[in-house]
Amino acid sequence: MGNDLREQMPHVQVWDAPTRLFHWMVVILIFVSWLSADQGYMTVHLCSGLALLALLLFRIGWGLIGSTTARFSDFLHPPRAVLSYLRGGEGLYAGHNPAGGLMVAVLIAVLLVQAITGLFANDGLHFSGPLALLVSDDTSTWVTSLHGTIFNILLLLIWCHVVAVGFYLFVKGHNLVKAMVTGRKPHAHIPAGLRITFARTYIALLLLLAVLTAGGVAWFIIQGGVFL
Amino acid sequence: MSALAYFGGVALATALGLAMAMLLRPGFAHAVLQTVGLESVPEASANSFYTVRVAPLFQAHCISCHGATRAKGGLRLDSFAGAMRGGKHGAVVAARDAKDSELLTRVTLPATDDKAMPPSGKTPLNTDEVTVIRLWIAAGASGTLPVSAIKGAPRLVAPVKMPQINPAAVAKLRAPLAKQVAQLQNRFPGVIQYDSRSSADLVIDASPRREAFGDADLRALAPLRDRIVELNLSGTAVTDASAPALAAMPLLRTLRLTGTHTTGVTVQALSPSKTLRVLAIEKASADALAPLRQRGVRIYEAANGQ
Amino acid sequence: MRKTTEDLLQHLQALTQTRRQFVGWGAGGLGAFFMNTAMAAQQPIASAGLSFKRDPSTPLSVLPPQFPAKVKRVIYLHMGGAPSQLELFDHKPTLSRFNGHDCPDSFLKGKRFAFIRGVPKMLGPQFPFHQTGKNGTWISDRLPHTEKLIDELCLIKSMKTDQFNHAPAQLLVQTGDARTGHASLGSWVTYGLGTENQNLPGFIVLASSGPGPTANAGKPLWGSGYLPSVYQGVECRSAGEPVLYLNNPKDVSRASRRQVLDAVDAINRHAHDEFGNPESVARIAQYELAFRMQVEASEAMDIRREPAAVLARYGAEPGKTSYANNCLVARRLAERGVRFIQLYHWGWDSHGSPTDEGINIGFVNRCKETDQPTAALLQDLKARGLLEDTLVIWGGEFGRTPMEDNHGGSTEVSKYIGRDHHTAAFTIWMTGGGVRTGMVHGETDDMGYEVVKDPVEVRDLHATILYLLGFDYQKLNYPYQGLDQKLTGVKPARVVSEILA
Repeated sequence: MGNDLREQMPHVQVWDAPTRLFHWMVVILIFVSWLSADQGYMTVHLCSGLALLALLLFRIGWGLIGSTTARFSDFLHPPRAVLSYLRGGEGLYAGHNPAGGLMVAVLIAVLLVQAITGLFANDGLHFSGPLALLVSDDTSTWVTSLHGTIFNILLLLIWCHVVAVGFYLFVKGHNLVKAMVTGRKPHAHIPAGLRITFARTYIALLLLLAVLTAGGVAWFIIQGGVFL
Repeated sequence: MSALAYFGGVALATALGLAMAMLLRPGFAHAVLQTVGLESVPEASANSFYTVRVAPLFQAHCISCHGATRAKGGLRLDSFAGAMRGGKHGAVVAARDAKDSELLTRVTLPATDDKAMPPSGKTPLNTDEVTVIRLWIAAGASGTLPVSAIKGAPRLVAPVKMPQINPAAVAKLRAPLAKQVAQLQNRFPGVIQYDSRSSADLVIDASPRREAFGDADLRALAPLRDRIVELNLSGTAVTDASAPALAAMPLLRTLRLTGTHTTGVTVQALSPSKTLRVLAIEKASADALAPLRQRGVRIYEAANGQ
Repeated sequence: MRKTTEDLLQHLQALTQTRRQFVGWGAGGLGAFFMNTAMAAQQPIASAGLSFKRDPSTPLSVLPPQFPAKVKRVIYLHMGGAPSQLELFDHKPTLSRFNGHDCPDSFLKGKRFAFIRGVPKMLGPQFPFHQTGKNGTWISDRLPHTEKLIDELCLIKSMKTDQFNHAPAQLLVQTGDARTGHASLGSWVTYGLGTENQNLPGFIVLASSGPGPTANAGKPLWGSGYLPSVYQGVECRSAGEPVLYLNNPKDVSRASRRQVLDAVDAINRHAHDEFGNPESVARIAQYELAFRMQVEASEAMDIRREPAAVLARYGAEPGKTSYANNCLVARRLAERGVRFIQLYHWGWDSHGSPTDEGINIGFVNRCKETDQPTAALLQDLKARGLLEDTLVIWGGEFGRTPMEDNHGGSTEVSKYIGRDHHTAAFTIWMTGGGVRTGMVHGETDDMGYEVVKDPVEVRDLHATILYLLGFDYQKLNYPYQGLDQKLTGVKPARVVSEILA
């Protein structure tokens, strides 16, 4: 009976909405940040950078309190497991597989460093990040060159990510892109008997609110504040 | 699809992408080819007009946005190769073609133009600096043509150096005589000063003391004689008796004896000095002054001015 | 045992922290405290200036410059009212050809003038020019004495300003800002370097004028602004007593004067204890300086002690107030270790009405009044070897227009010829240690309207002067109102390296 039910429901919900929204917003914001920096629209760049930072902080929080598949504990595996998976270890994973999990962790970390270095960077003319005035000119210039170098690393990582997803799509037949859009994977691709807990959407909203509030307060203090 | 086919496809797509990027951005193309070694990296020789006159201009005005930390528009002006490579929109320097050299065009735009380089807020290039770049381009934008080969370049103005004071280093320089300096400063307030905050050389100005300062007082300053660069004894009671003391100052550059009772005797004692540059006295004979004049010392005789 | 005044001053200075400074709840406060503790390892945001702390009993004591200086003292000859560069140094034959023609629209559109209204006529140079000196420098016939020294001078023809009225323009040139409240050049210099002769003020101002209005911006031109008031310029007179009421009244001896001073000092000390105003300390120091000046100032400024031949060379007449007298006094002060000597000669505002402002009358007189003494001063400084380490600057606060001043659009033909105020270009000259000689820097267009080569802003001039004195203009600063104030202001300035020897 259980098997019949599973065959009648070809797809299973694995990714929650906040995680999916996060993923595609990050894609859009990376593109916007890249384009705006290239064309010199620094105010847009600042906004998209700050939005990215907020989303990243949200994702890290969500990785602790979100749905099962969103949690770090679900997709972060010890190096040995990652290596054995890459060597051809079979296994079905509802969320990210070990290699994918590593990619996600690295991407989030690099994006976070990129956003943070951006806060302290300057463009040599009139524009600088909101925290640039807290450090010396030399430090800010050094951080700016780091921001530039990490961008190149990021491009490389994104290329890796796209190639990997493409591998799953064209070679293995797993449409991970569709999965990240709809949130559903074919039941054949996920381990049987899995229980996925989905965190409530309002928790996600509260977390986002907390991140934005913290950012707002930090901004307020840095600007000198009314009561200081 | 097989894995091989897929990765083959990826390699092809990546290569195609790279080729597209190189076609659309010639500057990037050159950078890639030069890094791989398929193209020789153009270099400028050490005494070329570029290295001596043009590169310092780029260094001063351009590299904060077009250098190692940041390459706006894909353009790097911190090396000859970078300057010749150009940026996003292609080469910025066209040999012998001022009109086609975007770099020259941009630095000669009026400051109010959006495209003017350096952009608003940064010091624009002055006429002489633009002339240097113009001459360089007209002569072929070469990295090897020597400085002397280009005629008519404006005088090279040394950039103004504002030295940073390193207190520890200065203290070390001053250490050997520091105690004597302090003691003598107490004894003669306002007479002894350091030449600047960044040196250990001393400047002595006894002129406010007038007749109260004499040979004996100058003798008291003997411990400092190795570091005295300037000595103003105008209007003091110093006489020819101090001549040996004055001659024994190895770093003395400027000496003022206007309004003292010194004569040609003192001047002659000073003749061997290799460091003296300025001498102000009441009056002395041409013979006495000849050796110093020959060495290019600037001599001022106050009595002549009356 | 009675403490000496010096001990007391030292003690008072240590207590100089006023209540206002302690209760710094204004901008900064808690936020700054948080930033300081949380980011303790950060470098300070504002670049550290140099320290100018001194023994409070000798606020004008000598401090060494930041790096070895080219000059030790400055003599600034300010020609108040703005002398016409087109009748002195800026030779414009094209303007001659356009004399009497209507001014082209391009010169008028979008510009504000002080007095020109409507369409004025172009005014050619009113005096003939010729070439002189080793380099064939152009000069008019109005300065026959100065022109003999043309090979010593560095002319800057590309000065620019943005102030078209006298008071703000004079303030800009002398204090770096068009509004009052800022410290003058002389104040900055004495603040940074002190003065060599402690018995004379470090910053002395001598003023003279043709008939007509004098200092448009008044005493703030040599004021100390936010710097301690001890650094302000002391205006002295070259006729009679150098400083009014400096000398003791009849029957008051120096000893009894000393007693009075001691009593006044005690009262000021008491005031300082009660109110903690650091100016009380400055006031005590000034009284002490005045006491010392009684002996030295009268002697220093008494030109009767000069031989008749010298007086004749300057055209000086003891007992009168004149620019010539002031130049001779300036030389004597330079010999006596005064750091900053400023001469003002007013009356160059050649609008063309009334008589004294006509180029054909008043201007001619101003040239006569200043040419010979200026040349004599330079000659004397040179002969004594003082030009090696003195910087002499001559100039006004802006230039004059190539167009005639049409007195508010009046169509009356005036018998007085004049030019209006011109901000876009004016000429000054400098000479002395570290300055290239026989040189012309900068150029204006054929009409003498805009600068076309090597513009020099007023702040660039200031940066250059401070550089010659041994300072990075950015490091000579004073914290006030939350900003490290500088003479050059907040806009970036540039040392005019092309004129440096």
